[in-house]
Amino acid sequence: MSITIEHLTKRYGSFAAVDDVSIDIPSGCVFGLLGPNGAGKTTTFKCMLGMAASTSGSVAFDGLPLAPKTFEKLAYVPERSALWEWMTAGEHLEMQRRAFSRYNPNRASELMQLFQLDPRKRVGKMSKGMRTALSVVLAFSIEPELLVLDEPTSGLDPVNQRSVLKLMIDASAQGSTIVFSSHQIGQVERAADHLAVLKQGKVVLAGAVDDLKRDSKIVEGIFESESVALNGLAGDPRVSRVERTGRIIRFTVSEGSDAVAAELSRMGAQSVRVVDLNLEDIFLNAVDPAGAAADVVESR
Amino acid sequence: MPAVLTVDPRSGVPIYLQIIDQVKRSVALGVLAPGEQLPTVKQLALDLTVNPNTVAKAYRELERDEIIETSPGRGSFVRGNGTAQSAYAAASDVTAETLAQAVREARSIGLRPAQVRELFEAALARWFPEEQ
Repeated sequence: MSITIEHLTKRYGSFAAVDDVSIDIPSGCVFGLLGPNGAGKTTTFKCMLGMAASTSGSVAFDGLPLAPKTFEKLAYVPERSALWEWMTAGEHLEMQRRAFSRYNPNRASELMQLFQLDPRKRVGKMSKGMRTALSVVLAFSIEPELLVLDEPTSGLDPVNQRSVLKLMIDASAQGSTIVFSSHQIGQVERAADHLAVLKQGKVVLAGAVDDLKRDSKIVEGIFESESVALNGLAGDPRVSRVERTGRIIRFTVSEGSDAVAAELSRMGAQSVRVVDLNLEDIFLNAVDPAGAAADVVESR
Repeated sequence: MPAVLTVDPRSGVPIYLQIIDQVKRSVALGVLAPGEQLPTVKQLALDLTVNPNTVAKAYRELERDEIIETSPGRGSFVRGNGTAQSAYAAASDVTAETLAQAVREARSIGLRPAQVRELFEAALARWFPEEQ
């Protein structure tokens, strides 16, 4: 199921929690939504699924607005678990069975075993991790076409975190579309093929993970003197950041590293080096262009 | 397929390129023999805990490079019917990439083509002494 978010805005008074967000989520992809705390990830999910009224903008599922029918094919794992304290895990499964025709009892018991959950246990007696696991079990037990997971691994130990990633990968291989938010870039780096980064309610970076990694580089030139004119490179849209340290100039580029490297050679650089950036570097550069690249370069 | 593949998701190299490189090296060395079946996209994605579309992309490129072939319903196999064709193709691809990187680096630190050629001849003489 594809999702098209266009110019989505959610205002609380004068504060825009989500600010003109446009995101294309292709059918069958695993989409990672990244961003610092308070960037608007949860609000975006809520507006997307009609749980909060958006101020403006539109969301379409397979080209159509959200309809009651959409909910039958969709599972949502909220950031704060929406479980009933006084009910047992098994009673939650029973509610899921009654609500969703797609509910698969065999799948549900496999998943309960995977996370070692006891159906007789009351939610009120569960740890944070067990609640997250139960929410994940409920979502995957209906074998949905679209899964929206808000921080689906919070509170889980590394073994169960890996289990959740594998469930997402398995569902994706069966053709489901998966949208998830995470603080852990490593999880997005593994499981996602597309991503968007939100900062203060705005999309600051979006694209296919492979393309972002392939195209984002640091191009470093070493010159004979410290006074080299940058020609047009300083204002080049491909260049997101320029740093000078004596005779060394470093350009962080979002694409076209070969062209920038060739340009540095033409400008008379003695040496030109192209360095790969990993997703963490790219992320930090997107959310904090002023501070990030310096750390990146120092740490190499 | 033997469990030889590993990926480093934290590397700056896209995961699909890491898979392609490792499959090519395995084919070149005969660790993956002609006709040998590769895991399904789903299986490899689960084994490596990486996105299935990423694995599918790697397989598509390996097909395009004529290293593997996929028949619908049966799966993906290393190409070559008894010949060493796929192994040769894989070995050339891996070597071409390594050489390109070395030459790019030589240029970036200021060497001229004639100097690079001289170094290349020296390396050949060192590693293929019997054929000089």
